[in-house]
Amino acid sequence: MSDHKTTHFGYQQVPAEEKASRVRAVFDSVADRYDLMNDLMSLGIHRLWKRTAVSLAGVRRGQRVLDLASGTGDLAERFAAIVGAEGEVVVTDINAAMLERGRSRLTDTGLAGNLRYAQIDAERLPFPDAYFDCITIGFGLRNVTHKQRALDEMYRVLKPGGRALVLEFSHPGNPALQKAYDLYSFTVLPTLGRLVAGDAASYRYLAESIRMHPDQETLRAMMEQAGFERCEYFNLTGGVVAIHRGYRL
Amino acid sequence: MSTGLRIPDAALAALEGLINRYLALDPEGAHRLGTLQGRVFLIEVSGFGTPIYLIPGRNSIQLYGEYAGEPDCTLRGSPAALARLGLSSHREDQLFGGEVQVEGETDLAQALGELLGGIEVDWEEQLSRLVGDPIAHQVGSGLRSAERWGRHSAETLTRNLGEYLQEEARLLPSRNEIDAFLDDVDRLRDDVERLAARVARIARLRGDTGGER
Repeated sequence: MSDHKTTHFGYQQVPAEEKASRVRAVFDSVADRYDLMNDLMSLGIHRLWKRTAVSLAGVRRGQRVLDLASGTGDLAERFAAIVGAEGEVVVTDINAAMLERGRSRLTDTGLAGNLRYAQIDAERLPFPDAYFDCITIGFGLRNVTHKQRALDEMYRVLKPGGRALVLEFSHPGNPALQKAYDLYSFTVLPTLGRLVAGDAASYRYLAESIRMHPDQETLRAMMEQAGFERCEYFNLTGGVVAIHRGYRL
Repeated sequence: MSTGLRIPDAALAALEGLINRYLALDPEGAHRLGTLQGRVFLIEVSGFGTPIYLIPGRNSIQLYGEYAGEPDCTLRGSPAALARLGLSSHREDQLFGGEVQVEGETDLAQALGELLGGIEVDWEEQLSRLVGDPIAHQVGSGLRSAERWGRHSAETLTRNLGEYLQEEARLLPSRNEIDAFLDDVDRLRDDVERLAARVARIARLRGDTGGER
């Protein structure tokens, strides 16, 4: 089997062209309860992780921000409040159900005017070169079939001086924490998924996909390969989550 | 980026939630925040070096322990001085009296102080959502007359207490006594300065005539 033909979907190998549709099926299944599940899964800490991502993004009034894999729009909500009427936040997801959910939620909180919505694939961004001041992808990169291609695209549409941030589950450095985390994600998580969202398999996929995601150093190397400079990462909660940041200079 | 005692992010998130809930009680006042939307304020509590980044949104604020990039405006002061900046009606005193140091765009600091100080919650309106207008109005007028009575009583009490302490118990000096005392202090200071000048002149004269110490 060559690398070009298959890719991982959790711990399974699937044909590369199938991954996107399988990921879509997972998120179609969990879209309704996604927010609640995030709170349960991370014990509410995901809100703090997202806050940290916003503070590292350093977005300013009037800037143009692309939020990939927005989901229910937690990052986009904060960015929209900061960039103001002169700025713009493009809220995106590959999954129509998730995007629709995000749009309803943001509109319900009274945010409109500087928000745009687009259902797009992170591997093929329908934007001109050097268009955004900041690009974020929160808990989305691990679901992308060709991660390097997505990073290359992010680099392409970023303005010189702009920065990209990848907020993603990662690999705890501490072995004890790793053990506890494994137990949690392969036992507690699918059970929670079954009870709350009625779908254990999708949450097992989430846990497996986290394990298959490149570790901190590998992802940094991938960002550098895409052209990003001054790449660094910040471990949160002992490395359960990491934020990678790189600049286009 | 500032160093110093950091407030845990969870605490800042909670504080942000509290402030935004308070702002939501005066929607019109909070809406004026929009003029400062996206401006990055760094508030540094002196003594602790604690940095708090405050970023106004359209009708809410965001708080962070750090923020990538330079702030538009930095406010530095003691906890009390910073609190007064938001609460007092004479913010100029804090800003220009040097109690709060401002760096960057100073007009932003002024505007922020005015906005936060200008938030006035119409408690009667909030109450009326729970119990209806008639009761809320009655409670409101009751509280207002209580407040008037309270203020009047407080003024009378202050005046009476002042008279007692100055005239009856003789624990505090009266205005005239203070003025006389201050005049004495001024005279003493002038005398000391004259004496110092005289001593200096004598010392110089002795120096000129060749005397060594």
